[in-house]
Order: sequence, then C-alpha cells, then structure tokens
Amino acid sequence: MAAGALERVTGTCMIGDAWFAERTVDAPPVARVDGREVDFAEAVEASAAILGEARLPLVCGLGQTDCESQRAAVALAERIGAVIDPAGPVVDGTVGAASQAIGLSTATFGELRDRAELVVAWRADPVASHPRLLPRLRLDRAGRATAGGDFDRTLVVIDVQRTATADEADAFIELPPELDFEALWSMRALVRGVPLDRDLAARLPLDGLGQLADRFRACGYGAVLPGPGLVASAAGYVNALALLALVRDLARIAHVVALPLRQDGNARGAEDVLAWQTGYPAAVSFARGHPRARPGEFSAAGVLERGETDAALIVGFDALRHLPPRAADNLRRIPTIVVDPRATETAAAARVAFATAAGGVHREGTAHRMDGVPVPLPAPLASARAGDEQVLAAIAARVAGAEGT
Amino acid sequence: MLRIAQGRVYDPANGVDGDVRDVCLNGGKVVEELPSHAPRIDARGMIVMPGGVDIHSHIAGPKVNAARKLAPEEHRADPLDRTAIMRSGTGGTVPSTFTTGYRYALLGYTTVVDAATPPLAARHTLAELRDTPIVDAAFLVLMGNNLPMFELIRDAGPDGAGPVTEAVAWWLEATGGYGVKLVNPGGVEMWKHGNRNVTSLDDEVEGLGVTPRRVLEAIATSVDELGLPHPVHVHCNNLGVAGNWRTTLDTLDTLQGRRAHLAHLQFHAYGGTPGKRPRSRAPELAEHLDAHPEHSADVGQVMFGPATTITADAPVSARLREITGGKWVNADLEAETGCGIVPFAYRERNYVHALQWAIGLELFLLSRDPWRVVLSTDHPNGGSFLSYPRLIRLLMDREFRNEQIDRVNQKAIRRTVLRDRLEREYTLGEIAIITRAGPARLLGLADKGHLGVGADADVTVYGEHEDREQMFATPRYVIKGGRVIVEDGELREAPAGDLLRVEADHDEAIERTLRPLFEEHYSVQFANYPVREPWLLEPARRIPARRDGSGR
Ligand SMILES: [Zn+2]
Repeated sequence: MAAGALERVTGTCMIGDAWFAERTVDAPPVARVDGREVDFAEAVEASAAILGEARLPLVCGLGQTDCESQRAAVALAERIGAVIDPAGPVVDGTVGAASQAIGLSTATFGELRDRAELVVAWRADPVASHPRLLPRLRLDRAGRATAGGDFDRTLVVIDVQRTATADEADAFIELPPELDFEALWSMRALVRGVPLDRDLAARLPLDGLGQLADRFRACGYGAVLPGPGLVASAAGYVNALALLALVRDLARIAHVVALPLRQDGNARGAEDVLAWQTGYPAAVSFARGHPRARPGEFSAAGVLERGETDAALIVGFDALRHLPPRAADNLRRIPTIVVDPRATETAAAARVAFATAAGGVHREGTAHRMDGVPVPLPAPLASARAGDEQVLAAIAARVAGAEGT
Repeated sequence: MLRIAQGRVYDPANGVDGDVRDVCLNGGKVVEELPSHAPRIDARGMIVMPGGVDIHSHIAGPKVNAARKLAPEEHRADPLDRTAIMRSGTGGTVPSTFTTGYRYALLGYTTVVDAATPPLAARHTLAELRDTPIVDAAFLVLMGNNLPMFELIRDAGPDGAGPVTEAVAWWLEATGGYGVKLVNPGGVEMWKHGNRNVTSLDDEVEGLGVTPRRVLEAIATSVDELGLPHPVHVHCNNLGVAGNWRTTLDTLDTLQGRRAHLAHLQFHAYGGTPGKRPRSRAPELAEHLDAHPEHSADVGQVMFGPATTITADAPVSARLREITGGKWVNADLEAETGCGIVPFAYRERNYVHALQWAIGLELFLLSRDPWRVVLSTDHPNGGSFLSYPRLIRLLMDREFRNEQIDRVNQKAIRRTVLRDRLEREYTLGEIAIITRAGPARLLGLADKGHLGVGADADVTVYGEHEDREQMFATPRYVIKGGRVIVEDGELREAPAGDLLRVEADHDEAIERTLRPLFEEHYSVQFANYPVREPWLLEPARRIPARRDGSGR
C-alpha cells in the first residue's frame, strides 16, 4: 500500500485515490501460470514446485502489504531457506542501517505537529511526495500561522533547487547534492562552535547553515525530515550516518528528532515484522536454517545482480520497474511468483501470478505508519479473493506438505 | 491426563514445602486424582514447582523491537536454527519473539508480563506476543505521562477520581492490557519540553497543572476503585539518581493505604547526593516495605555482563548515553510516553555497577516477606532473564555468593551490608515464592503460581542438583496447560500461549469526554484507536476486576 492506504484510514487525497483505483479496476484473473488462467490450487502447486526446486529463492517486496502478510512472508522465506528483503524501492533502508550503527532520536507525527518549533526538510519534498503531510502536521503556511497560537514554528527546506515544499517554507537553503555529507558534518561543527575547514566552508552555503545552527540552538523541540534525495542516493548510507550523528549532537542542546519519509505505505511494518521475527530489520538470509544479515549483502538488488538467486517470490512490488537495470534483467531470467492485488509489469511477466484482495480495500489488516504507529486498515469493499496472507500461507502449507513435515 | 509422580513438591501458596506427593493434571488444570492408568512422569528425586511467573520483563512491542534493531552483533553471535517444531531466530539480551518464548519455556517459565506498552502501540505489542510462543503473556499499559489523562486528573480535583477511573478502565479495554504502569510520572512529558525532567513529587509538569504526586494518587486510587487484579505498577521518579531513595519513600508514603507495586526497586534505592557517588539505602526501603503490606516490589537485580537498557524513562537513557558514548535511541510517542534505549554492560570492578549488584542482593536478603519482594532483573535492563538461575544460586548458596562478593569492587561492597557476609540462604520454598507464587499473587492471577486443584496445569520439574544455577537453568520437564513442552531439557512442542487481559467495566459516557481530548492530542482518529481485531486479541483469557471498592 503506497501512501494511499494510510491516507484512507483518515481521509483521502490525490495519491490515495490513484492508489485505490489501481486496486479496484479491471481485476486480473485470480491466478495464472505462464499467462494461462488456472485455479488457485494449481497456482499454489506450481509455486511450491518452483520454490521447492530453487537453490536460493528470493522473497522481496513487502512494503505495500499489511503486517499480517509480512508475517506470512517471513515464515515462508524461512521454510524455503530464502533470502528475504523487506525494502521495496531500495531507497528506504539506509536510515535503518545507519541507525543500527549509532541509534536514532525520533518521534511520532503527533509530536511533530504539537511540539516542533523548527522543522527541516532535507532533500524531502512532501508537498509532492506526501501531499497531506504538511497540512496534517500544521506545517504548511496556513497551519503554521494558526498553530494553536502556542508557539512559533519555522519550516526550513534544504534542496538542490526550489521545490513545492520550499515555497511553503520560511527559509530555503540551496545545496548541491554532492555536498550533503559535508554540509551535515559542518553543521555538527557549527552547532558545537568548532571552526570549519576554510576550503570546505567556501563551497558551502555557510550563511544559511549558520543560521540553521542558531535556530536549532534556540529551539526547544526541533525535527529533521530526511528525504530520499539525501538517504537514497549512492552516498545514502554515509549521509544517513552523518545525519543521525548531527541529530545526536543537536539532541544535547535541544530536543531534536529525525523522522525519515518513506515511500511504501507499510515499509516500516515490513522492517518491524522482520526485526521481531529474526532480530534484523533489513535483508536476511535463511539459507543456513537461521537468520543471517550483513549490511547490503542480501539486498534483493544485490543477490539478483550477482546472479545468486534462481527463483523469486515478489509480494506487492513492481520489481521490474523499480529494481536497478541489471537486477531487473536477471529477474527476467528466473522463474518468478508474484502476489499482488495490482496488474503490474512484473505480474504480467511472472511464471505464476496471484491477483489478490487488497489490504485496506478488500481486507482488514494492520500497517505501521512511517513513524511506527500501528493503525488498522479498513475493508470498505468485499472480495471473494484470497489476500496476500492467505496466498503465502497456502504456498507454505504446500511446501510443508511436500517436505512431509 | 498426566500424573507427576512422587516428586518433592514446592507449592507455597498451598503450604506445601517439599512434601513427596503426586501432582495430577487433566484438561489443562490441576485435579485431585487420576485413574491409576493415567500417563505419568516419574519425578522421584526431582523438585516440582508451579511454572515460573515473571512479573516484570520487556519482551514485546515497539521499544523492545527498536532494541532488537540495535543489536545485530549480539544476534550474529547467537543464532537459532529452525527445527520441525521451532521457528528460527536470534538471541542475545533482546531475542527475537519466537526465541523469547522458547527460552522462557526452557527456563521453566510459563507466564510473562511485559511491563510497559504505550497504549497507542498496543497493536504492535499484541502482534509480537502472538509470535511469542508457549508462555501466557500480559502487558501493562503506560499511563503516567498521558496528556488526556493529565487533563482529567487536573480537572478532577483532590477527591473526585471518577472520570480518571473510567478512563483507566477504558484504556485497558481499548488496548487488551492487563494492568496500569506509571513510569517517571510527569518526568517523561517534561523530557519533551527541552530535555528536562521532574526531580520531586511536587514539581509541576509545566503548563499542565499536575504534579507527579497528583498523578500517583489519582491513578492508584482509580486502580483500587476498579479493583484491578494487579495494583498500580510504579517506576518511580529519579531512577538511577544518587539520593533517590527519598523519592521512593515519598512515593510509598503518598500511596500509603493504596495498593502499589514498585518496579525494579534496586534502581530506586540509592543514598548520597545527586551527581555524586551513590550509596545503599536498601535496608531502609526493605524495612519500609516490610511494614506496609499493601505495597510490594520486584528487585530489578543487576547481573554482570551484557544488558540492554530499554525504558519509557527517556531522560534516563540520555544520561546513560553520556556514560557509554555508544548507541542511543530516543523515540517520543505522542501524548503518551517516551522511549530510550542504550546497550549497556555491568562490570564487576566498576563502583556503581558493583553497588547496584549489591543493593539488589541486599533487598533480597533483608526482605522478610518473600511474597512481596520478588525476583526480576527488569529483563533486559539489569541483565537477561537467562541470568535468573545464577541469581537464584547467589541467593541460595552463601559460599558461592561470598566468592562473588570478593571479586567485585570492594569500595562498593563496604557501603552495603554484604560486607557482613550475611548468613541468609534462600530455601527452595522461598525460591518458589519469589519466582512463581509471589508474582502470581501480586498479579492477581488466581490460576497461576500454585498447584492446588483448579490451578492451571503449568508445572516445572527440576532435577535435584547441588549447583542451583545448573539446576534452575535446565529443568527436566516443563508442562504448560497440561502439555509436556520440555522433556529432558529439550523442547518437544511449542503451542501458542494465551493473552491474559483484564476485564474492567467502564461507563460508556467517558468516550464523550475522551473524544475531544483525542482529537486535540493524537494524530490517529479516536475510532481507530481501540484494538478490536480478533486476530490480535485472541486467544485471550479475561481476568475480571472486582469493582466493589475493596479489591480482594
Ligand atoms: Zn522495566
């Protein structure tokens, strides 16, 4: 479920409507094998056969399905000794990985709305990516003006060029993307009052950053919203580390938090479910019978690019369109099983495709907002189809039956 | 049907202290007698106790999960393979959910209480508990820094707990919770006001018109009015601060005449002055508890080695961050609470750590009523639940204890009564009290912690061994709900446990009061807040409150 499902819990918006439409129009056949419409049981059988024969299957996607289906996906991945990567678009993982190394100061949306006097969107453009976010956090111009009258709030945007969000902001700092790390690191120095390297300072928008450091020093409660441009680039991991280190420094002088904006509606749920079942929040390999994880090693893109996987089960993720080209090419060469309420390119190319009832449309479930708050997903429409969870459980049961356990 | 035949039975709730007898189980319950052909376990020469009951642990929910994410190194070092009956997982101080369930069961524990769930995150805790097999589990709901609750308390005035009482019951129903937890009441809210805190019970929570004392009084009164099976469970203000024993005494005095359970008392038993070296005030607190039968505590023993501090008391974590310089998580949860996590290690040579260790032992050894001072390490804050057997040996084996005392920082020991080489050794009967009978009674779980007819068929059978650590680390048999879960120290099956939740009625009219407060303070809709999903709440057992004023 993209931004949409969570929006639907409380209201609607443009992205939410598109999300809803994608899951309700022209529903494809319930199950297909090699493009041929088959009954559910035959598709389950075919899936179990593919996964049973695979040397190292891959399970990926998950950020757009509900927590209940994510649980079933982890259970299935374990049973078949798969690699499982809960990150859909590769972008969402770097703050998680960085926070494993040093930790994280964060908060839920309600805290940002009611307490944050200073909010910095760092290469985040929520007006475009999450249209309801600024109004709901009362961070748009109108909201800031009327924010209960209790306190002044300031919105600062840092980005490569003026964005729609920058138009809503009190201050805009223009920063070329290759200087993100240097800017974050320099902010650490500015906040501590340590002199900057002169060559470096000459390349940075020092006035803006200096003012920002002053704003942080003066605020009681501050927040940083890192966007994909900061943490999903090639330098995403080091940027995320620098960001969390800066927030940690800032947290000594004010109450400062970071809340990474995420793409997939339940990316956080996927990370959380995997963490409670395995101890690790990011890609895990069950190939040796127990969970193993090393940063980067088992990412879907990585195992595909290296040709290590020979079958893939993809849940609610249009992998062919979103994976890096080499990974997508290799994905085309191996048998795939797609479980998705939508008709996607990846589903059309799959050996086995299940078109499921959608969580948040046809099936109730749970999702974790990007701030970690669990919310119930409603089921406003009826559907006779199985949900992702039922499909995954049926495949797992068939695999278990074949193993005789 | 199962007869556990001719073991030495320790069932202190029923006055049984090592008598050789049979324990008969049928239909998930302890029964009077069984036909002679019923299957049996030959327990001759073995020790039979009710299944263990952990009154204060952290095993599920967003805080625990955030701690798991911080511990890849520990998990890498302690993987568990999938087997025909077990899901795989990882261990360390914050194990994955399945591993938590298996390891508690392998330790002979069959009931565990998670001590701190933010109500807004109840769905998350419930989902994790569903993935925590074997043990029956309950959770306590955080209410000590809740903004809507503060408004109700402020408006209620000194006597009228009415709306507060209804709100407490509403929140328990909305979350599937079992009891009420207060963590540093008022202080966590102040943490969100520019990293501040409260330092005394009369500090005002800025702009909100309440003090820690008012919150303590109002909630404790409400819990008693509702007749909840478990009293208000209090993590006092000033945790870890030198001199905090005065705050702890003040808290107990404030709650005099009302039931209250103090969490991890060891962390609240320090003399000295803030910012200076702490010393022990365990004797005074043990004395005070002894004189007040309405009050109880779990110890929160510190054990040397790795730990992970996980707390709703976020300002404490910020202090620990300054000590370790290592990983640190802070997570503010709107309108309700905070969260702090810092991986930690207790070292024998460190003055403060040794003092903490010694204070925990003092509390155990000076307490005269084991029913009211029960065992915990505040898992994983003072150490993993896997260290309980070692702790039991420290209590039961004076020679071993004195060896350990000699190893640790002697400046610390000299500030405690441990320097006097205390004589006391816990008996098996007393261990049965502090690890099952006592916690069950304090929790108001009438079917747990004993082996009388009608009790749950949760039984642990230990092989007699001189080394009590070894004995308690590897029970021979563990029976849960009448099923043999552990046999010869190995897991045989891993069924789901039940959710234990309280049943406390509330006046529906409270929703009219709460709705506008929710709209003001939360980013979720009031209608979406209560958990109704059967797949999160069931299977559950409801333990009724007795709303007749007297509790029990
Ligand atoms: Zn605790």
